[in-house]
Amino acid sequence: MSLLEVKNLRTHFMSRDIDNQIRVAEALNGVSFDLEAGKVLGFVGETGAGKSLTAQSICGLLRPPARVVEGRVLFDGQDLTAMPSEELNELRGAQIAMVVQNPRTSLDPLTRIGDQLVRIHQAHTGGPLTASRERALEMMTAVGIPDPKNRASAWPHELSGGMAQRVLIAMSLMNRPKLLIADEPTTGLDVTVQAQILDLLKNLTQRFDMAMIIITHDLGIVAHYSDEVAVMFAGTIVESGPVAKIFEAPSHPYTRSLIAATPERLQMGSGAKLGGQPPDLYNLPTGCHLRTRCVFAQNICTDTPPNREVGTDHFAMCHFAGRLPESGA
Amino acid sequence: MTFSRFLLRRLLMAIPLLVGVVFITFMLIRVGGLDPVGRLAGPTATAEEFEMIREELGLDQPLWRQFVIYAGNVVRGDLGESWLSNRPVLTDLKERAFISLELLFWGIGIGTLIGVPIGLRAAFRPNGRFDQVSRILSLLGFSIPTYWLGLVMLFVFFYLLRWAPPGIGRISLMVSPPDFVTGSYLIDGLLAADWKAAKSAVAHLVLPVACLAIVSAAPIIKQTRAIALEVLSSDAVRYAHASGLPPRTVRQLVLKNSATPVVTFVGTEITGLVGTMSLIEYVFAWGGLGQYGLNAIVRGDFTAVQGYVLALALFSVVVFLVVDIIVNLIEPRSELT
Amino acid sequence: MAEIAGDGFERIQHSERPFSLKNRLIGIARVSPTLAAGVIIILAFGFMAVFAHWMMPHDPVSAYAERVLQPPSAEHWFGTDGNGMDVFSRVIYGAKFGFGIAIPAVMLSVVIGVPVGLIAGYRGGMLDEVLMRFFDGLRVFPSIILALAVVAATGQSLLNVVLVLGFLDSPVFARVVRSEVLALRSSVFVESAKAAGNPTWRILFIHLLPNAVQGAMAQTAVRAAWAVRISATLAFLGIGIQAPTPEWGAMIRQGAEFMVTGQWWVALFPGLALIFLVFGLNLFGDGLQDLMDPRRRAAT
Repeated sequence: MSLLEVKNLRTHFMSRDIDNQIRVAEALNGVSFDLEAGKVLGFVGETGAGKSLTAQSICGLLRPPARVVEGRVLFDGQDLTAMPSEELNELRGAQIAMVVQNPRTSLDPLTRIGDQLVRIHQAHTGGPLTASRERALEMMTAVGIPDPKNRASAWPHELSGGMAQRVLIAMSLMNRPKLLIADEPTTGLDVTVQAQILDLLKNLTQRFDMAMIIITHDLGIVAHYSDEVAVMFAGTIVESGPVAKIFEAPSHPYTRSLIAATPERLQMGSGAKLGGQPPDLYNLPTGCHLRTRCVFAQNICTDTPPNREVGTDHFAMCHFAGRLPESGA
Repeated sequence: MTFSRFLLRRLLMAIPLLVGVVFITFMLIRVGGLDPVGRLAGPTATAEEFEMIREELGLDQPLWRQFVIYAGNVVRGDLGESWLSNRPVLTDLKERAFISLELLFWGIGIGTLIGVPIGLRAAFRPNGRFDQVSRILSLLGFSIPTYWLGLVMLFVFFYLLRWAPPGIGRISLMVSPPDFVTGSYLIDGLLAADWKAAKSAVAHLVLPVACLAIVSAAPIIKQTRAIALEVLSSDAVRYAHASGLPPRTVRQLVLKNSATPVVTFVGTEITGLVGTMSLIEYVFAWGGLGQYGLNAIVRGDFTAVQGYVLALALFSVVVFLVVDIIVNLIEPRSELT
Repeated sequence: MAEIAGDGFERIQHSERPFSLKNRLIGIARVSPTLAAGVIIILAFGFMAVFAHWMMPHDPVSAYAERVLQPPSAEHWFGTDGNGMDVFSRVIYGAKFGFGIAIPAVMLSVVIGVPVGLIAGYRGGMLDEVLMRFFDGLRVFPSIILALAVVAATGQSLLNVVLVLGFLDSPVFARVVRSEVLALRSSVFVESAKAAGNPTWRILFIHLLPNAVQGAMAQTAVRAAWAVRISATLAFLGIGIQAPTPEWGAMIRQGAEFMVTGQWWVALFPGLALIFLVFGLNLFGDGLQDLMDPRRRAAT
């Protein structure tokens, strides 16, 4: 059984506009995927594709007007969408931990970092304070914070961005999670620090036997650090599969254009770039959401595309998956 | 930076403000239509008598000389003499300062104790029933004229119900005030173990304090709510939520992180509320600095006005100083500069 | 994480739909009930101010010597005051003063404050520094004390009250506009307007003003509420407008002494009128800020 099974997850934003009309933004339109224990899954896609929203929907972190309207999230056999919010709160930060993109502002500015580590351990695991303190020092060492005893008494504003991210990672590890969700963990960091943090995350998943979801818009990160890839577009996973296969044989036009848009490929003068704006979530095109921007679009694309299996564990949601011309990518 | 150096620096920084304040009020009064001579001389005075008074007051000198003389006197601690009370302005101010501070302290203290919890509770459930009601009440609080509220309170609690003493002064005319120590009859009464005086002082405090508390709570509710909403949507609180901290811990985190902006806001409100307090003093014949200032302005006692304005400026300098010190105690990020 | 709301909302594109005034009004009332309530109260008072002469059962300033301090009755709905004047008629007439002071005072504040904020924000430097320090200095004093002192010193006429209030409140608008201009100053459209050789005044008034003025407009209702309140307070203190002019503050002053002797109607009714108008303006202002701040709106 998979550690995490997400089935047909739909999340919508519902609001009323100034003309008293109900408006629905279809932000997630049937997201389904599995994640095995110990594996790393990379989510890629443009801003607004629903990567972060998927993570938030899984953890029950949506705020109104966003809400899950359909679908199930099975974590370790428990249905998170049906779970009372207190139980879900106990699960968050314990079995499912998050690392976010603004580490410096995400730490509590008025609490020393050691106390924050202890606090999260006390909140979920409990036990004697001395044990929590020991665990905190252990985790700070594990994430490569030099001189943890002294650093424990530092204030968040005294840390660099990279150091703050290490603290955040240490916090996420405090309660031995089974799943780590890293939502753009390196977005605001220096390039040199980015690689260190990602290497660290990858090593930690192996060392502590965790599964990890990395959310990013950087294909390079996905290629390097994940076992499996899910490409998101307009609230749908348009292509998913093992990382090698996705990069060897991208089978969805959107994936192809993403790969073609990496700096190396652009230098090689590849074609098949994608024009146009991201789709209006209030008014999505029928059928395939990409069809208005897709160079391969035909009449059939007004029908909802099937999720075709184009290889072992490799799926693409396109009428022409597996039959696209080889040129382009 | 050591604390004494910080204090010194802040006092030096306050000097331009105080000089500016003295200068502007001086010019405003002299250039404006307030000529005290006519009032002092009376209707039957001759031209020579007018001249004599002008000379006595130094009003025959050129404007800039008048200012230099006045400023020099101020530096030496001589604020001139009030024509209304025929006493040195400084003595008047000193005597009345504590009387007003007492009212201000209780009024804003209670207003804060009411306003902050209401604002916080409203923020935790934005647009809930409680939030809607508190928002309307706070807007209503913004709209009630202080003096009218005082009058209505006097009508209800003094005239109708006979619960409150009449709105004249700070202690019953039947009770002899305790010996002067601080100027607050309550504290002085307690110090002298004069329970009767202390009790009467409390009875006289209730209505004006309630008035001030109601009026000061309104902006505090509104601002506390806005501050707490901001904190609630901050990365830190979102992350606390995402890491499954129990709701109580998250609430404490919100409270702690709201403290600095709330303290700063209440500090800036205090100087504004001095105006409200003055009106309350006026209605309840409180006899403090606020009433003294209002009277001086309305009746054109301009040495007293100048002294009063200077006292206000000094007061706000002190308030901002205290706010900065408090913020420094809460905030690891801030440094006293 | 910060993307939660942005995920869907950043790309709102209004689909074609026939405009319906009814839906727009219902929509506004739903988004901001306070705005709707404020509009209704203000309109009611506006009606009173304009049609006062048809609504008043008595002359607001003619004294009936034989009817001094009568309690409310069928003839005198709000009773009569110490001069034997009809309080109801006086309260209605008072609405003229509320609007007559607030509207020109706020207009004056806007006319002074907006250009000052534009120039200070755009030019920056010494001028900006000095202006801001001066405004900070003004904030040391409670607005009522400041207004009182300036009116007392410069002359006590209705016109002067309007001028002083308008002048003293202009920093509010200057500040709002200045901060908007500071944010816009280095934006692309200003840079390109400069590069295209537009003179400074054109950049200020044609390019910056329309973009910076919205925040200031949201303030107008709240500042009008302030002006109504302060002008009444001045009259209550006997500065500016004097009794027996049927101005609410002056009427409360007249009724103050009767509050402790039981003739509550003289001061109560003008006070209630004052509260309602100020409350309506505050509701309206609060609602305006709601409508203009999409963050506050999204929560609704």
